[in-house]
Parts: sequence; structure tokens; C-alpha cells
Amino acid sequence: MNNALTISGLTKTYKDFVLDKVSFTVPNGSIVGLIGENGAGKSTTINASLGLIQKEAGTVSILGRKELDNETKEQIGVVFDGSNYPEILSPAKLNRVMRNIYHTWDEQTYMRLLKNFSLPQDKQIKQFSKGMKMKLAISIALSHHSKLLILDEATSGLDPVVRDDILDMLLDFVQDEEHSILVSSHITSDLEKIADYIVFIHKGQVVFSKPKDELTEQYGIIKCGASQFDALDKSDIIMYRKMDYEWQILISGRDKMQKKYPKAMIIPATIDEIMLLYVKGEKQ
Amino acid sequence: MKGVLLKDLYIAKSNILVTVVSLVVLGFGLSFLLETSALLVLAPVAATTSVFISITSDAGSKWNKNVITMPVSRSQIIGEKFAFYIILAVLGIAAALIPCGILALFSFDITIGSLCLYGSIGLSTTLLAGSISLPCAYQFDAEKSQIVFMMSFMASTGIITALVLLTNLFIPVKDNILLAFHIILVIALITFFLSYRISVKVYQKSDIT
Repeated sequence: MNNALTISGLTKTYKDFVLDKVSFTVPNGSIVGLIGENGAGKSTTINASLGLIQKEAGTVSILGRKELDNETKEQIGVVFDGSNYPEILSPAKLNRVMRNIYHTWDEQTYMRLLKNFSLPQDKQIKQFSKGMKMKLAISIALSHHSKLLILDEATSGLDPVVRDDILDMLLDFVQDEEHSILVSSHITSDLEKIADYIVFIHKGQVVFSKPKDELTEQYGIIKCGASQFDALDKSDIIMYRKMDYEWQILISGRDKMQKKYPKAMIIPATIDEIMLLYVKGEKQ
Repeated sequence: MKGVLLKDLYIAKSNILVTVVSLVVLGFGLSFLLETSALLVLAPVAATTSVFISITSDAGSKWNKNVITMPVSRSQIIGEKFAFYIILAVLGIAAALIPCGILALFSFDITIGSLCLYGSIGLSTTLLAGSISLPCAYQFDAEKSQIVFMMSFMASTGIITALVLLTNLFIPVKDNILLAFHIILVIALITFFLSYRISVKVYQKSDIT
């Protein structure tokens, strides 16, 4: 399978943070969710991939090209947190601006999306709500025949109804097998709904990059007391966390573990719980 | 680049209109007090303030981060701002020429020589100021850029004074005032071009977040 985005050994050093040899791929026709706590390196990864910041090492290949030239950028739609469009402009004026920026600008698609999202054409962006601004940014990203969408925290701060509208639009976008999405988000429940793969970044490093189904179907949490914890085979423990009255243990291969520990209560792990255990838990 | 220029024109539209109308009105008003062609010194300076309105707007909306992901190169982003600056300076000159032309029809004392002299001074001041302030706008935040913008006009006046004194060592400026200011205008144009090239080089390596 070809990849829409291939990131390999991406490195960037700041005074107090290092993005350390980050590698993962976004296969064609898939949605990849990039998760991690604040400051984990999600935005740095996206910014370095898009050439906004200079990388120190590593390679980024977008739609089969190693150089991010204007021809490649025509095929990428990017949405950041916040609309990032001059607030004095209206969607109609932005249409005229974008028509002169993208050779592939599709005015009909843009107008249709504005209508679908109930966005007024002649109102200044500064009068829009946050949800409306995000819908506008997504409409622009989808109106120049993009093959790859990159969304950096695009759904954060939005109410569940708006988020649901946007998620539906993203799912609709990947119906075409040539379309792919990389979406970074804190809201892991959104990613559970739409993502095919999850890439988890912690302290500037990729902890795992796995199919979402593998995470939700294979990973589990054993909740137990100290004696049960001591009885566990330590090689089965991925991460553990001692709470006030119990131990939470992250394991993989739920069915296998249930057979091995028939008395243990193993519950399916959500992506949120997996992330929390990796961030706050300890390794055996 | 056309799209980015259009965006800046939309942002600065009302400010450009106010400036152009003010220059025309001021031109007629000045005719009763002093030489109307002197307005050409002020006109390009006043007109280019709109560039900084667009730069402030860009910073406020984080447009620069967004536009880099579009099919626009970094050199085109810088080139557009410098081009916008020149367009506004020329627009300012054109606006100031309206009252000058009309008053000349009514036998006011307006000569080609005075228009060339004041036009050269105005354009030189504007270009030298832009050579300083435009590169800084991409290095500093919006507030500091505005301070640099205001100070750049003082600096450019100082530079012009120094250039006049320097030229006077080779050519007596009083007797060749038009030639001297044309030389200064050429120097200002070269400086503006060099400033553009340096800005592009610096911006290519900058992190935009």
C-alpha cells in the first residue's frame, strides 16, 4: 500500500524539548490519529512535516514527493487550531483570494460546503463563532481537490454537535481511496470514532503506531489489588499505575490474558486510558 | 502571489481610501500655505502605512503560518509585501499628483522640476524606511514592528541627510539639487532591493509557529 505521508527519523531540538527520531506513516485512504499530552510533540511533528519549522534530521515524504513544492502543496489541505484567516474578510472575499492562490480551486465545491455548513458568505469572519471558523477552514481545505488533509487540534474547543458534523465530513472525505487524513487531537473519543491508526507521541518520541482496532480489541486493563498484582507474570505488564485502592495494569492480548488469569477482571481499554497509563504509569 | 496581494488589498482597502482622499484634500488645502508639490514628500510615506495594517492583521490571525501550507513560496510571501509597499508608495504619489495637476491648470506655481525633486525625496524616504522596517516586521512581533516602522522614517531622514552631505563632497548639492536627489533615489532603490533579498534569505530559514 502506498503512503500519503511518510515521516522517518524526524528530529528537532529546542532548549527544553526534543522531537526525537519520530517515524510513522499515513497510508493512502486512511485516517491516522496523532495523540499525546500537551507539549508531547504533535504540533512540532506537523509543523516540521509541513516545512513551517526547520528539521534537523529525518525525511518527510508527502504524496510520494520528498520536496514540499507548490505542486505538492496544491494537494494538501491544512487546518490548524483557530481559523488563521484574516478576520476582516468574509467567506466570499476568501473565495476570490483562494481562487488566485490555488490553481485547483473549486468554487462550486466551496460554495456547496458553505451552504452545507450554513455559513453566511458575506459576513466577516470576526463575527463567526469558533465552530463556524473551523467549518470555514475545513471548507477551504476541502475545496482544492486535496488528497491529504492535515488537521492540528482542529476539533478542540468545539461542542459535540459541531465536532460530529466535522467528523462526518472527514469520514466522507476518505471514502475516496486516494484521500488520507492525519489528525492530531486531545479528544481521543473523536479518534476512536474515525481513525484507522493511532500514533501516540510522548515526550517527543513515538510510543506506538498501531491500527486502532488492535488497540481497542487487544488492549485491556486489569484492575486488581496488591496481592493479585504480585501474582502477575511481570512480562505481561505493559504499564501499571497504583491508584488509591487498586492497581491498574495495561496488558495486550485480552483473551489470552483472561485464559491465563481467569480470576482477573480484565476490561477493554479506551484510547484515553491507554494514553493515561503510558503517560502516568510505570514500566515493570 | 496575486491571491496574497488581493488579501492585503482587502485588509487595507478602507485605510488606502482614507489616505488617498486625505492626500487630495490636503493638497488643495496646502496650496494656500505653501508649495503644493511638497505634498509629494509626505504622500508615499502616508500611503505605505497600510502595509503595516496588513502585517498586524497577519500576525493577529497567524496568517503566515497558514499561507506557508498553501502553494505560495516563502520568497513569494516576502516579495508580495515588498511589492505591496511599492504599489502603495506609487499610489500615494499618484494621489498627490491629482491636486498638483489641477492646481497647475489654474496657474499655480507647480513645475516639473519641483515635482521631480519632492517626488524623489518622498520616494527615497519611503524606500529607505521600508528597507529597515519590512525585514524587521518578520523578525519581531507586531508591537515592536510598529515601533520600528515609526523609527524607520526618522532613520531614513537621517540617512538622506548623510547622503546629501556625502554627495556634496563630490557635487555641489545646492547647484545640482535635482541630480543629487536622483542619485539618492537610485541608492534608495538599490537598498530596498538588497533589503528584499536579505529578508528572503532570513525568512527561508525562519521557524514559523
